[in-house]
Amino acid sequence: MIEIKNLSFARGNNLIFQNVSFRVKPNELMVLKGANGQGKTTLLSNIVNFLEPLEGDILYHGKSIDSHTASHCFLYIGENNFAYDNLSLNENIKYWLAVHNVNFSQEIRDKSIKFLFNELNLNLKFYQLSYGQKKKLQLLLLMLVNKPVWILDDPFNGLDKNTVKKITTLLSKKVENNGLIIISSHQDVSIPNHKIFQLK
Amino acid sequence: MINNFLKLVKNEFTLMLRGSVFTIVLYSLLLIAASIFSLALRHVSFDIEIAIAFLWVIIFFISLIKVEKVYATDFSEPKLQQYILSPFALEIVVFLKNIMIYFNLLFLFIIFSPIILIILGIQLSYLLPINILLALSLLSIIFISSMTASITISKNNKLSITSVLTLPLFIPILIFSMALTDVVDFQLNKMYLFFVAYFLLNLAFSPLLTSFALKKLSV
Repeated sequence: MIEIKNLSFARGNNLIFQNVSFRVKPNELMVLKGANGQGKTTLLSNIVNFLEPLEGDILYHGKSIDSHTASHCFLYIGENNFAYDNLSLNENIKYWLAVHNVNFSQEIRDKSIKFLFNELNLNLKFYQLSYGQKKKLQLLLLMLVNKPVWILDDPFNGLDKNTVKKITTLLSKKVENNGLIIISSHQDVSIPNHKIFQLK
Repeated sequence: MINNFLKLVKNEFTLMLRGSVFTIVLYSLLLIAASIFSLALRHVSFDIEIAIAFLWVIIFFISLIKVEKVYATDFSEPKLQQYILSPFALEIVVFLKNIMIYFNLLFLFIIFSPIILIILGIQLSYLLPINILLALSLLSIIFISSMTASITISKNNKLSITSVLTLPLFIPILIFSMALTDVVDFQLNKMYLFFVAYFLLNLAFSPLLTSFALKKLSV
């Protein structure tokens, strides 16, 4: 369970959010909503321990989240792409799966790639891909990196209807399998029983 | 874990090879600079020490630029976030990147060095000692440069100025390298030991400080 207690964050003298509190349990999905600049991305960065809050606590199973917990339990997919432009799609997939220490058989990996990318030429350089195709590489990690908590910053942004549907299926399955997911999104999420937290 | 570490090394090697174009551009600029230097001093007879000192200063700047460039692209915020959440410590990634930069710069220097020496009027008998000197000093330069780069690429521009704090770390390298230019006969056993010792010292703290700065300033 992730518990956020009276969390506040400021950049310099600029208070981004104040007294934010909520809980997310395993088998739950929390959607953070709010207008631009309300601090959705900042809040997610706080949860993953990239940023230190001004005050308040973030607990995972009752303990403060340190870098060890974050690296072993959390998968974070941000808004911006992390792939290398001068590597091919296939090389990027191999690189980032190695970075996340993922060991899957070639068969499982190929199935996951096909699920997201269909008939796309994997030897294309990353800079030759469209925004949506690039975004799919990030989402491939969701299928292959086995961590109990997913923190996703606007995962549906720039994706076509078909891919949004696939991602929604992935999120639903993760929640069913005892996963805990926190996402920020401007779109409505069609996953049953999800919670919404509105940042003001 | 070991299997994936080896894959990571292999992939970093691929990235290093793809980044070679930039290094070739930098060495081409070195060739132009060396040509201008030689042409400007064509009516003056200068000692070999001056040519070696010139070469050394240019290599020093090339290393700084290369490290800065790699860090700016390879440790952009989204990539850094993934490295931080990786089961591999960020220090290991920093170490791997530094070593790959080292091999990239060194290997291409070995290829370019005969031409550079000819342009600068240095006898080719100095080719081996100059390459050995560079191979040893470059390790420390890159590891120190990585600390500088980790601060200069920070999100907060005001903090970038603090990267000058790392510059004194270059002083021992500069002093010894300049001293080497006086030792044209290259009887350098003790000098070599200094470079190895200084590199080991850098190796002990540089990846730690670099990754600390990256985590604190760039995410």
